[in-house]
Amino acid sequence: MATDSALKRRLEERLGDRLAGPVRARHDTTEIVIGPGAVTDVMRTLREDPAFRFEILADLAGVDTGSVLQVVYHLWSPLSSDWLRVIADGLTREDPRLPSVTFLWKGAEWAEREAYDMFGIVFEGNRDLRRIYMPPDYKGFPLRKDFLLPDDSARSPGMGIRYMEQPVPTAESGRRPVLRSSPGTGSLAAGSGRTEIGAGGTRAIGSGEAGS
Amino acid sequence: MTEARTRIPSLDDPEIIVDTPATIYDAIPPYPPTTEREAEFYSLKDGEMLINLGPQHPSTHGVLRVVMKIDGEKVVDLDPVLGYLHRGVEKICENGDWHHAISNCDPLEYIASMFSEAMPVMVAEKLLDLEVPRRAEYIRVLAWELNRISSHALFIGWLALDLGAVTPILYGFIERDEIVEMLAALTGQKLLFNYLRIGGVNGDLNHEFLSRLGTWMSHAAQRIEDQQTLINENEIFIRRTRGLGVIDREMALKMCLSGPPLRATGIPYDVRRAHPYSVYPELEFDIPTRTEGDSWARYWLHLEEIKQSLRIIDQVLHQMPDGPVMTKLPRLLRVPPGRAWVAFESPRGQYGAYGISDGTDQPFRLRIHDPSYFNLQTVGLMMPGHLIADTMAIMSSLDPIMGGIDK
Repeated sequence: MATDSALKRRLEERLGDRLAGPVRARHDTTEIVIGPGAVTDVMRTLREDPAFRFEILADLAGVDTGSVLQVVYHLWSPLSSDWLRVIADGLTREDPRLPSVTFLWKGAEWAEREAYDMFGIVFEGNRDLRRIYMPPDYKGFPLRKDFLLPDDSARSPGMGIRYMEQPVPTAESGRRPVLRSSPGTGSLAAGSGRTEIGAGGTRAIGSGEAGS
Repeated sequence: MTEARTRIPSLDDPEIIVDTPATIYDAIPPYPPTTEREAEFYSLKDGEMLINLGPQHPSTHGVLRVVMKIDGEKVVDLDPVLGYLHRGVEKICENGDWHHAISNCDPLEYIASMFSEAMPVMVAEKLLDLEVPRRAEYIRVLAWELNRISSHALFIGWLALDLGAVTPILYGFIERDEIVEMLAALTGQKLLFNYLRIGGVNGDLNHEFLSRLGTWMSHAAQRIEDQQTLINENEIFIRRTRGLGVIDREMALKMCLSGPPLRATGIPYDVRRAHPYSVYPELEFDIPTRTEGDSWARYWLHLEEIKQSLRIIDQVLHQMPDGPVMTKLPRLLRVPPGRAWVAFESPRGQYGAYGISDGTDQPFRLRIHDPSYFNLQTVGLMMPGHLIADTMAIMSSLDPIMGGIDK
């Protein structure tokens, strides 16, 4: 499916200075990156400008890139053959905050609650921002990359934080095989070489691991 | 903080000490409201009371708890409480490889799992820039449409069952049973098929499947007609669904609805036509719509969609090309780095998946967009003002599946 080059031009024209990066197009999706402060403005333009008419919010997702958090919106418009992906990039891990889009799509309320529950992203203006899946007294944000599971398989987030879009490992630079520590041997105890759940830090793979 | 609260073990994990324990079935949560909306909901006016619908109520189609604020027999407001079935599928998918994700996504939409397992498959194919063999695409469409019919047939039965009619669900199960047997011949499974593969499908059509399909096709259309006469002109059914749970066009768009609830408001948004995928552009079918936006319109659309699916199956069987059903791929599948979004139309609406790959054999992130999750949200707008007995008719007309909602 060809990408919609007219959409790319229109986006550059109308949103110009509010974009934090070039408009990219791959497959059937056009992608723009904005800062968290521009969300209200950009989303209102995309929905209400007759040149765009992105009236269907197909998805709202939180993403943890390993270093920063993102909120990713997917939009559909009858005027374009492309999906539009809007990435609100650069939310800090300590205080991820951005404006809610519930004033345009009331249905985003639960999606934002889910992103809050799973990533701790605070949507300002959402009137019902509380946990939706996890119990209200739960601590920690399960889908963050520093939330490590005790029983992960080898080469998984359990062995440390993964970062987004690393280059494909070649034969020389490829990852060394990581041996899994034996299950159930107090892998969560301090000093065992694995991080505690939700401890929130990167962890170098222990020196004992290569030799074991 | 004015007072020191007692710190007690969490119900979720007794080793964690918390300020505010969440109890499971208390209608009024034992902690101060954290949001504006929660404060508004849990403050009762004179004559109002809170009751729980669920979590183990049969008409909640799974494990859903709805706290309803009622005034006499009228529902004033409600607050759905999710999470009883939460398994963390997105996190599990990040910890397995791309092939594992297929079977992990299977139980999301357990009534029509041919759709939910397509998510990781289609995302990985897009990231790999993979061309799926045409025969495999046709087989997928065939399996999807059969699964759609079995899901819709069950929906019609459920809706009637929630209104107190027992017969239609038996008819629904006749349809579903034949299709499930057919798909079991094809895939080996009756519920969670695990049939689609990255790059094709697991196994070609076989003789038993085709002979069962032939027998069923010869009388399917007639049987659907029979079902229609059973409910369509039943006065009780009509009076309990028409004009109930109405949502208008603008609000439907604002609420991010999709599938039959959106099309019941007159918006012909069906991903198969709005943003075509697979071989749907080559097939002829219509997108039925209604303008009423009520429970009856949603019911009617399900019937019409069964007819359209039968049309599609007929064309697929006539146009089915020969050839392989699987692309050759390495067993250890390293998906190139990148981001991809796919969406497709499931019986309940637009299923979507946003996949990020970091170049390893595991998904970096697999976001699952479940249509029931967004559709269920609308009950907060549809139910207030109606009687408690009608809440069932409204909720089951949205056809929520808790497996997908709770992920």
